Amino acid sequence: MLEATGLSKRYGAVHALADASLSMRPGEVHALLGTNGAGKSTFVKILTGAVTPDHGTVLIDGVAQALGDPRKALAAGIACIYQESNLVPALSVLDNVSLGAQPVKSFGQLDRKTQRAQVSALLEHHRIYLDLDASVQSLPTVQQKQVEIAKALARDARVILMDEPTAWLSQVEVQSLFGSIRELTKNGICVLYISHVLDEVFSIADNLTVIRDGRVVLTSKVSTMTAASLAQAMLGRELLAESATQREVGYLESAPAALECRHLSQPGSFDDINLVVRKGEIVCITGLIGAGRSELLQALFGATPASTGEILVHGKPMRMRRPNDAIIARLGFVPEDRRDDGLMMSHTIRDNLIAAHLGQVSRGGIISRRSARALATRVVSTLGIVPARIDMVVRRLSGGNQQKVLMGRWLAGGTDILLLDEPTVGIDVGAKAEIYHRLRALAEDGAAILVISSDMEEALTLPDRIVVMSLGRIVAEFDKATATQDAVLEAASAGVSGNV
Amino acid sequence: MSELATRPPRRRLFDSQVLQDYGLVLIVFVVFAGFAIAKPAMLKLDNITGILSAVAIIGIMAVLSTFVILTGGIDLSVGAIMGLTGLLAQGILTKSNVTALTALALGCAIGALVGLANGIIIARFDLPAIVVTLGSLSIVRGIALLIGNAAQRAVSQPAAYLRIGGGKFLGIPAPVYIFLAIALIGWLIQGRTRFGFSVFAIGENERAARLCGVPVVRTKTLVYVLSGLGAGLAGMVLSSETHTATAVYGTGYELNVIAAVVVGGTSLFGGRGSVLRSVLGAVLIGIINDGLNVLNVPIAEQLIAEGLVIVLAIAFDQYVRRER
Repeated sequence: MLEATGLSKRYGAVHALADASLSMRPGEVHALLGTNGAGKSTFVKILTGAVTPDHGTVLIDGVAQALGDPRKALAAGIACIYQESNLVPALSVLDNVSLGAQPVKSFGQLDRKTQRAQVSALLEHHRIYLDLDASVQSLPTVQQKQVEIAKALARDARVILMDEPTAWLSQVEVQSLFGSIRELTKNGICVLYISHVLDEVFSIADNLTVIRDGRVVLTSKVSTMTAASLAQAMLGRELLAESATQREVGYLESAPAALECRHLSQPGSFDDINLVVRKGEIVCITGLIGAGRSELLQALFGATPASTGEILVHGKPMRMRRPNDAIIARLGFVPEDRRDDGLMMSHTIRDNLIAAHLGQVSRGGIISRRSARALATRVVSTLGIVPARIDMVVRRLSGGNQQKVLMGRWLAGGTDILLLDEPTVGIDVGAKAEIYHRLRALAEDGAAILVISSDMEEALTLPDRIVVMSLGRIVAEFDKATATQDAVLEAASAGVSGNV
Repeated sequence: MSELATRPPRRRLFDSQVLQDYGLVLIVFVVFAGFAIAKPAMLKLDNITGILSAVAIIGIMAVLSTFVILTGGIDLSVGAIMGLTGLLAQGILTKSNVTALTALALGCAIGALVGLANGIIIARFDLPAIVVTLGSLSIVRGIALLIGNAAQRAVSQPAAYLRIGGGKFLGIPAPVYIFLAIALIGWLIQGRTRFGFSVFAIGENERAARLCGVPVVRTKTLVYVLSGLGAGLAGMVLSSETHTATAVYGTGYELNVIAAVVVGGTSLFGGRGSVLRSVLGAVLIGIINDGLNVLNVPIAEQLIAEGLVIVLAIAFDQYVRRER
């Protein structure tokens, strides 16, 4: 159906894409994989007409397409659903689906009746069930994605490109999106699925193509691949290296507790939480969105104090009334939302790094530029932040490097208990691997790490111990050795499956 | 990652960092040169010190208000504080035997106190600064009227107090020295201290700053204390310069102060800007007013020109600093 051959694009001396080819049959879900900067987005932009390639052809049903014109690409049936929403939040589902293509009567009057009939027939045909009159902003993210799919279908799209469609979705929502994708393929529409999340690729895609450094390095059926072989193809090396020093069995059981909470409660968020994180241990809290995980982490850090219960740091009771109390107790917190809660986006790497350690780099209220620079340079080089320029504005960094800055903020000052909320969301596999290595190395140096993750692959491989929360309570706990995906998922959805 | 590292730097003039940082200096220079060509009298030393002297009072307040605006706040009460402190200083000096320095310190303290009240209400209770300071503008002006009616009172002694506004050293009026000293202090606070760092961090992203342990409430309170202190000082400079004090002095000055800060390029949304930019902003407005005076432009046209310059300066600044 779609056949792209020999696509190449150069920017200056850099080959963003070199001789890349890909073909899709009707009804196929094809995954496009690669780290940030591998050339995925250039590939997508060529297909949507946003970028004109230097060489190469795109055939649809055997007909060569004019390239570099977004309107022609749309007319040829190629539609793209971007990571960020392209909907008008205040308008209804109905209006969003037919936006720009509303049927009109004479004198430019909207033909409401025909519009409604067309859209409901379309949704019916593809088994997408949406309330046509709901305003888009009132819908959960996954339904907004479905509106975008419907919008593409309303324009007779036959090839739908989806760029990281699950970046903001919970596990359950992902399944619901996959349901919609499967319906599409039954109707002969093909989907190019761009993602970092290998798990998803295995459950939804038929075939896959891996791009690295602008070149196609692998095209294969999904069924013949494993997560490890895929990661290796994307990175050119392995994702999770074995830990450098093999610790004795039973080491963690005897390690002292670094962070402990007893009967911690916050009405409406979480209830009677008892949790221990030992020195040298990585504990992962998993569960569904709304299970109270983020709220728990924020309470431990004093951002929104718990109403009752006790927090102990290295065995000593501590009151966490504000973040500064936690920072003094040498806790660090990496929030989920880098942009809103984490970074000062238009400030430099240096300023973002020293922000939590002003005491360390100043004397009598005066900041020493030299020690600020030294601290920032040290973190940038240990974490391999690229580009390694401490006066670079954080906004210009890639997501992975922004995340490293956010983590580096705590590594700079001798933090020995690190709390992280979804540390690898929206980050490419390469940076993810580096973050895993770094967390593992920190734990081996004696840090205690508590991480929230909804990424099942991450939750099962990264930590030493997995804690499952549901509806504000801890419902299960697994050792890394005994945890299976099914058991964890079952525990996470216990009691809530009815109302999702 | 690699995309960032390999993209060649752009060479367009308007994208240059230098222009972003020093474009304002260029504007000040061009505007001044333009007036000087039209009227060479602009270049006389007397005229230049005259410009600085005229902007000193607004400049003092603009420097210290910059911290407020950098946190994303605003202080509308500065004009009213000026009226109050000028009047109080006059009262103390005529009714008792205190020294000029004591009166000065007392006036500054009163200004700082009003600022403290503003700051506590805004920071502690998380209320919008524009509403709180609008309220305190009214309250402070009311208190000043209670104390002094609307009558103009003479400030005739001691001589030391009159020198604050009227004295000269090396031919340059004392208010100019005060302005420059405040600017220097403000610049050091901004660039060298934890407080200065915290101000920028809060203005850029208050939630992130809090999660880094930055003392948000304390810092946000302190910026209003500084702003109030600046207004208190400016009020006394004005009373000393004019030898008079009334409850209505400083009316509308808050807008001139905000104009100076914003023309300087400090963002009203916080996080971006600088004390030195506010100094330049005040000077630019001063040059324009002076130049139009020298050219005998009537007041109505002057106001229109001043408004245009404010909008143009902001537009230019946005243009060179836009996101790429």
